[in-house]
Amino acid sequence: MGETVTPETDEGVVLPSFGVAGKIWLGALSVLLVLGFAAWIYQLQTGLVATGMRNVFSWGLYIMLFVLFVGLSAGGLIISSAPKFFHSEKYDGFARLGVLVSLACIVVAGLLIIPDIGRPGRLYQFLTSPNFQSPMVWDFGIVIGYGLLNIWYLWLLTRRDLAARGSRLALGVEDTEAGRERDRRLLFWTAAISLPTAIMLHSVTGWIFATQVGRGDWFSPLVAPVFIAKALVSGLGLLLVTSIIADRYTRFEANHEELVSLGKILGIFLAVHVVYLLAAERLPHAWADHFGFWAISSEFLVGDTVYFWLWTVLGGAVPLALLAVPSLRKRMSVILTAGALAVFGTMFEGIRLVFTGYQGVNIDASPGIPVGGEYAGVTTDIWATSGSYTPTLIEIAISLGIIAFGALIVTVGLRFLPIQKPSDAATYAPDGGADE
Amino acid sequence: MTSYGLVIDQERCIGCHSCAITCKQENNVPMGQYWNRVLTEGGDHIDTPSGTYPEDGDGGNLEMKNQPTTCQHCANAPCVKVCPVNATYTRDDGIVEIDYEKCIGCRYCMAACPYNARVFNWDEPEHVPEEGTGDVPARPQGVVEKCTFCSHRLEEGLDPACVVNCPADARIFGDLDDDDSTVSEYIAEYETHQLLDEKGTDPKTYYIRGEMTPGRPWKGKHMEGEDGETSTADVEAATERVPHVPAGPEGGDD
Repeated sequence: MGETVTPETDEGVVLPSFGVAGKIWLGALSVLLVLGFAAWIYQLQTGLVATGMRNVFSWGLYIMLFVLFVGLSAGGLIISSAPKFFHSEKYDGFARLGVLVSLACIVVAGLLIIPDIGRPGRLYQFLTSPNFQSPMVWDFGIVIGYGLLNIWYLWLLTRRDLAARGSRLALGVEDTEAGRERDRRLLFWTAAISLPTAIMLHSVTGWIFATQVGRGDWFSPLVAPVFIAKALVSGLGLLLVTSIIADRYTRFEANHEELVSLGKILGIFLAVHVVYLLAAERLPHAWADHFGFWAISSEFLVGDTVYFWLWTVLGGAVPLALLAVPSLRKRMSVILTAGALAVFGTMFEGIRLVFTGYQGVNIDASPGIPVGGEYAGVTTDIWATSGSYTPTLIEIAISLGIIAFGALIVTVGLRFLPIQKPSDAATYAPDGGADE
Repeated sequence: MTSYGLVIDQERCIGCHSCAITCKQENNVPMGQYWNRVLTEGGDHIDTPSGTYPEDGDGGNLEMKNQPTTCQHCANAPCVKVCPVNATYTRDDGIVEIDYEKCIGCRYCMAACPYNARVFNWDEPEHVPEEGTGDVPARPQGVVEKCTFCSHRLEEGLDPACVVNCPADARIFGDLDDDDSTVSEYIAEYETHQLLDEKGTDPKTYYIRGEMTPGRPWKGKHMEGEDGETSTADVEAATERVPHVPAGPEGGDD
């Protein structure tokens, strides 16, 4: 945006200065952050009664968005580490931006858990009294591990360029030819660790739900593979969206051919997730219920909730169609739209998952279950025989505040880290500095 | 070893909700929450029968069934397995209990429990009267709470409050590991089922439906009506053998 900065110090930085638009953007994020923090203080004082959650529907927006952001954190790391693992330079231009976005997303996911906790002051119990049987403890460990891995990966990708610029963020590392060679080897091993870690992160998050016998559709062996599929869909979708936006509004230069080919990959991921896995999940039950073409197709074509349709049509069929038509899928605006819709749809897939667990109850005889937090005198109806949930403004404000924090991480990263990969690493002199 | 269990005779249950109310009082359960509830099976509302009213000479088929439901104290308790901080745990005597000091309020246990037996203190718990009722300290805002089989009463050799205060003697409490305890005898003698047993949670709460049992105080050598006559000595012996939990030094039922 600013054009008058010395190239020497800003080599690779795609946002050399914030400019007016950048400052408005930062201001908006700060407002969201402050509002979110204030809302959290309020929620701490009044209790989780400030949310829409109650005894029957005891997890809400925070967990739905946690699931989304864990998935979103997949894209960058997988797109950058998979080619590296196979010693390919492909998509390398997206590696730094991708890992930055991954890092921001996993931070958002981790932070989203905190307002969901009834007594955050006791969170240290995770360390002093962990129950290793609990999938939540596995997830706690892997979310933190994954976050640290992202920080390490991002630093490894950029530290030689940081050193070349004389940045303190290089932490004393020097930019030498031998060092760059060593980092390439380290990147291979980091990629080798990243791939299984990412697979575990999404599987373990899926197993939080998939291990539960008491919550309808949650108890399915397909949940973990579906989590991996939706991580690929939403993660890649977000990477495409941020790349195209960064390409348009910052000095970040995305390789358009690679964007088109990543768009095709997104189409494949969408087909696996929204078409194949959904069919694989529903066909056996439909077949067993009543055998017949129409009965079977209606069984998995007729979803039960609006979330199902938002996910499968707006977040599935539409982007899939956009990416399938050769004349459309080469346009940046189409790839941007498809990526955004993929993220949007995945959010509703997560919402749908939580709803399927809590809407129905196993024992629904009258009067039902006391919902809690609703008592206001003897005439209050405190009972419910099914779960219902609408997030409150407090929940939305807290969630937006945390998401704004993630956006802030990406913005600051664009401003201070060499997100643009130098066009040819070999042109670097051992004493640092690069020619363009 | 002791393994506490509860038998609920649904044929004896009269649906009076005494167990639910006495539980609330004994355990100082906040307003708007219940640990123990009596559900009405079949009808659209609480205390409404299923079926149709006999009209114009047609035989109706009204039927009223009660489903007293609380924590089932599962041997394979999902809530214990999911608790990330070991706040919910299974005691040596089989009771599933919560350490309210450890509970962080993540509510994973509520997601895990197939019986919806757990309640969460969404706000500052309200008690009437304000100082609370019963013998159990109030739990703070932000923790999950549930039935403890009145473990504080067991320590004193007393049956759980819901058992003692059931006017229909439909609830029988005792040691499942002791073959001579009433619960064991009833489980051996009568057709019992566990709630949602297909979930594999193996509850320590057994329900009897079909044939009515003699109920809680009838602990003589013979089941009620088994041999046509019950001697006075049997009844007296039975009366003396209450409580059904190993009596402590201060033991005795109230």
